[in-house]
Amino acid sequence: MRVFTAVIAIAVGLMVLFGYFFAQFTDIQTLLLNWAIILAGVASLVGIFNLIAVHTDKVRRAEKGSVYSALLVIALVATFVFGLILRPQHQVMQVLLNGIILPVEATLMGLLTVTLLYAAIRLLRRHADVMSIFFIITAVLIFLGSATLPFGDVPLFGTLIRPWVSQIWALGGARGILIGVALGTLVTGLRVLFGIDRPYGGK
Amino acid sequence: MQLPLDLISGVLSFLFTVLILSYLIGDNPLFRIAVYLFVGITAGYVASVIWWQVLTPRLFSPTSSMFQTGAYEQAALLVVPWLGLAFILMKISPRLSRIASFTMAFLVGAGAAVIIAGALIGTIIPQVSATINFFDLNIAAARNINPAEVIGNGSIMLVGVVTTLSYFHFGARPQASGNPRRFIVIEFFAFIGKIFIGITLGVIFAGVYAAALTALIERISSLINFFGNF
Repeated sequence: MRVFTAVIAIAVGLMVLFGYFFAQFTDIQTLLLNWAIILAGVASLVGIFNLIAVHTDKVRRAEKGSVYSALLVIALVATFVFGLILRPQHQVMQVLLNGIILPVEATLMGLLTVTLLYAAIRLLRRHADVMSIFFIITAVLIFLGSATLPFGDVPLFGTLIRPWVSQIWALGGARGILIGVALGTLVTGLRVLFGIDRPYGGK
Repeated sequence: MQLPLDLISGVLSFLFTVLILSYLIGDNPLFRIAVYLFVGITAGYVASVIWWQVLTPRLFSPTSSMFQTGAYEQAALLVVPWLGLAFILMKISPRLSRIASFTMAFLVGAGAAVIIAGALIGTIIPQVSATINFFDLNIAAARNINPAEVIGNGSIMLVGVVTTLSYFHFGARPQASGNPRRFIVIEFFAFIGKIFIGITLGVIFAGVYAAALTALIERISSLINFFGNF
């Protein structure tokens, strides 16, 4: 069974990869990716079912915080049933989206202002090395260059220093990080395709 | 019908904004109720979107039309996803969950190929080309930029890319004392890379902070507007 799963992963991976470079494999690549999208959707539904199972179990055992778990399960099942009957584009589902999901996401994003400020202060107090010093100096420079202040813009910051720092110095570092992440991703993918890593089960 | 739905949406938005902002005075039951409801509603909404926008058009509708029209030659294309669906549902049962590894192998193989192509075509080649193109004097001349400026800025960027990559080079040899240490040149490059990474993270921090501040201002403004409408 372990060999069979590895053969499936390697064969599917190679055919999809060849589809990017050889026109003869484009049709089979499209078909395999269509199947992968369907199966990823089913896997997501299984994940959501697992969320329900975990929280239902907490309610059944009457663990601490089980009231919140009960609320989560009721909200999830009710939303899913309404979504199945009405479809996601229905006005009632849009009320849930615009009245709860989007405002909560925006407010949690807003709470980041406090959390990020606190984290930056803690960084300087606990770990004042060359990276954190440059990190804080750069952040202050960018804020000074982009903030609208009551007495007007700070000379040179908005027009010269901020663009130079963000478009040359920071871009160099960002490209290095991006290329490093991409190289890591490439190696991880190749290890799966060569059967060295088997995250689907088997050693 | 339109007005009550807008009103309900506004009331819910106001209520959930206040409940989430209550976290500013510390973790409390109101914040937890809002977060648990948010997770439940979002998961339910995502599940219904998957059902209607992924599974129905790609699997349920083609299967149903195959049975209606009698075009059974399409069955070969639908057998694999139905089989994969049956296997992955085995994950729900602990005894049969091993069977799901066939579907997981399919997904991991396809995913690995997509990320290899994405990393290569979408990141490595464009980013390396963009770094090289920064030294292109023809492009600079067309945009009326001084060649000295092009070479100076291009050099800073090239040094940034190389030294940042050096920072993530963790190959080390054991010294006489037994402690592993990187090659001295790599160590020097990594130190310069640290400065570039600090600058990059500082710019990203400022951007994220500005976005978070904008979101907070928008939420507070929506609270004020909500009261203003009454």
